[in-house]
Amino acid sequence: MALKNMKLAVIFIFCVLMAAHTSVQAEESSATAKQVVDKFQTELIAVMKNGKQLGYAGRYEKLNDPVSNSHDLTKIARIVIGKEWEKLSEAQQQKLVDVFVRLSVASYAHNFKDYSGESFVFDSEEETTRGGVVVHSHLLIPDDKPVKFDYMLKEKGTSWRIINIIANGVSDLALKRSEYTTILQREGFDALIAKINEKIDNYSKL
Amino acid sequence: MFKLYCGNRNTHIQKIVSGMVIGASILLGGCATTEVAKPQETANKADPYEHFNRTMFTFNDHVDDYVAKPISDGYRWITPQFMQTGVYNFFSNLKDINVVINDVLQAKFEQSAHDTGRLAVNTTMGLAGFVDVASRVGLEKNEEDFEQTLAVWGVPQGSYLVLPLLGPSTVRGIPGSVFDTAANPSSYVGMPVQLISMINTRASAEGSLKFIDEASLDPYVFTRESFLQWRNNLATDGKTEASLDVDNFEDELLAGDKDTPSKKGLSAESNTATPPGFTLRLDEESKEFKQTSNSFSSASKSFDTTSKSFEEATHKLDKLKKSKKLRKHRYHFSHGNYSTVK
Repeated sequence: MALKNMKLAVIFIFCVLMAAHTSVQAEESSATAKQVVDKFQTELIAVMKNGKQLGYAGRYEKLNDPVSNSHDLTKIARIVIGKEWEKLSEAQQQKLVDVFVRLSVASYAHNFKDYSGESFVFDSEEETTRGGVVVHSHLLIPDDKPVKFDYMLKEKGTSWRIINIIANGVSDLALKRSEYTTILQREGFDALIAKINEKIDNYSKL
Repeated sequence: MFKLYCGNRNTHIQKIVSGMVIGASILLGGCATTEVAKPQETANKADPYEHFNRTMFTFNDHVDDYVAKPISDGYRWITPQFMQTGVYNFFSNLKDINVVINDVLQAKFEQSAHDTGRLAVNTTMGLAGFVDVASRVGLEKNEEDFEQTLAVWGVPQGSYLVLPLLGPSTVRGIPGSVFDTAANPSSYVGMPVQLISMINTRASAEGSLKFIDEASLDPYVFTRESFLQWRNNLATDGKTEASLDVDNFEDELLAGDKDTPSKKGLSAESNTATPPGFTLRLDEESKEFKQTSNSFSSASKSFDTTSKSFEEATHKLDKLKKSKKLRKHRYHFSHGNYSTVK
């Protein structure tokens, strides 16, 4: 009898979980900017918690979808090289986006490798004049100064996507933009791709 | 006797350092005059001396690789973590004196009370600063220095500079660090203390330097951008909205999308008129920081453009004179013709 009850309870819990899962999926299309950031941060912390067991390859695998679904990486890649985008052939543009997506996931997999009690805290949310939303949050690190993380999001279709992350006042987009345009101007497209690939390679080894 | 010797040596070193700074500024002054004549292709307007800075950056990098990093690694290997933290806290506590001074200079009186409390707690209960007790009771460290005070006072930031051995700075950063050094008690004690302070600074920067090494495609540009953004964020107490960057960048992107052949020239012009970067954003946002972006170099550039426009003006005047003469000739000619026809 007890066993049967247990079985029923397990089935019931399973059903509840399924329902919760589908409802999350249904909401995903109309998730607010804050929800997108929240979801991504939760996924990131979850990967950090299992970081050591997963190893680099495991973390990369686990973070691939969360990063790609929460960031508008195509747009970021485009903004990052500025006017140079127009000068590239379609094949080159596609190549750059591909490499950029891999670099973004790789840097997350490398930099958030283990967990020592870190947690993200939501501070506030504000709309910019141009239809964007900035989500202010900070990462609490035990025995260390908190790091401010400001996410700039823009609407892409029906969902919100991260366009820029400003960590302690340093804009990732502005930083990358300066780097990428400088390399493109000084050394050309092939050198840029080679350098990005080298970084991805280093991340996987370290 | 030893003390006296140390003091002498110390002043000697200070002389050398100040000599170096003066030398560097003269050297850079020299650059300023030559660079204006030959403008470089620079991605960032705040960095007109990129060529010189890159050379200095490479030099510093080599010094770090062969001297500073091995020493710092040795220090980190020998010293237990709690000692490293203690030493770091000790020097950080001495810097808090300067933080209080600059709080007052920036008229942040409430913050100065907070920082005085922090200094008092750490110096007494924190065993002369070795333990950062204050942070645990909610008196977190604030970062203030004279460079930020100058920024608050409206002194323009000036060009980005990479100083020999000292690393990234700006024109405004030089008087800033001279003042900060003068306001730091550890500058007046013997060489061993200063040496430990230097090694400790390098050792605590290990993480950031490693991150730059791993993440940057172009370490020079990465360092420059993050340094300038970080200083800018400190000077404005995090009030600048880096998010507006995106809008500027997006404008450019959209301008590129909507380019029709007839509009192409126009959009290109507007692109050059609005260079990317946070310096410009500051202009738009608050008038008080308008000067920040008007670096010394841009002042010299504007002199350059003025002299060019003068030249153009004289050319135009010459043309005008010529055309007047021509008109006179034509008039006489036509008049003559007319008279002959008549």
